[in-house]
Amino acid sequence: MKLFPGSVWEYPGPATRLPFDGMPTRPFDRFEEMTTAMLEAAEGSAGAADVTPQRPFADVVREYLDRLYGYCIHLCGDRTDAEDLLQDTLIRAMRSYDGLRDPEAAKTWLFTIATNCARDRWRTRGRMLDTVPLEAGDPDDDFSLFATIAIEDPFPYSDELHLDFLRLFEDEDVQAVFATLTPAFRAPLLLTTIHGFSCKEAAAILGVPIGTLLSRLHRGRKQLERGLWDYAIRRRLVTVSDET
Amino acid sequence: MWAYLDHSLGPRPTEELEAHLETCKRCCGELEFSRELRGLVAASSGPPLPDDVRYRIEQLLGTGPDSGQDR
Repeated sequence: MKLFPGSVWEYPGPATRLPFDGMPTRPFDRFEEMTTAMLEAAEGSAGAADVTPQRPFADVVREYLDRLYGYCIHLCGDRTDAEDLLQDTLIRAMRSYDGLRDPEAAKTWLFTIATNCARDRWRTRGRMLDTVPLEAGDPDDDFSLFATIAIEDPFPYSDELHLDFLRLFEDEDVQAVFATLTPAFRAPLLLTTIHGFSCKEAAAILGVPIGTLLSRLHRGRKQLERGLWDYAIRRRLVTVSDET
Repeated sequence: MWAYLDHSLGPRPTEELEAHLETCKRCCGELEFSRELRGLVAASSGPPLPDDVRYRIEQLLGTGPDSGQDR
């Protein structure tokens, strides 16, 4: 079922998609739809005061807005998509805010909506949030960043070569590596490590059993380790003996 | 190691790992590295919300009870 059958989703297309910094920002293009949703939500809550959560919706949004945007950016990998996902999330959240009985659950609730919005948006483009590569043996499974740094020894004169390796990475480098992770493995990592959800909460947000969550989390960490190493080599942050 | 730091390792493997860490210097080094790596990821909050987007959202939220707020 389409939640907003009247809305026209205009995907900007690859030509206007630029990575993070330096990108011209653009206003929310569905402001009217959001305003309508806000007014509808206000009207709806006026007649149902006994089930309305105590906190105003605006307060909840303000508290989690930056965090939610960070999640959208990391999920999508670029700003344009992230802003659109944030819009979808806020519109859907406004319309269902009355359904939130427990104000303590607001953060989980917002992240669940964002995840579901991402899933729906991606599905229309043939991109899947839940698709896991089918190969039986994961090529990254045996990779250990710790062991690789020790063997390759990119800082021969350092007493703390492992920490020196991590110090090479600015936030934008980490984000670039995030963007290379398989989305199904990336989302559990974002939810637990960055946004502080427990594994159980992250499993509920993603709608998967806890065992699946743990497995994906493990594979996400392994992909991240491999991704950091490959990035460092590719960007020549480190040089190793067999590189020319 | 990371699962241990996330507290997502079961009680039995946690006990075994902790017993092992008492005697293995290499694994202590790996644990320290995993802690730093996890910290690097945890601190990666992403770029800030663009001002114009925040402004539009504030305008929108301002249609509620606390209008008149600029940013």
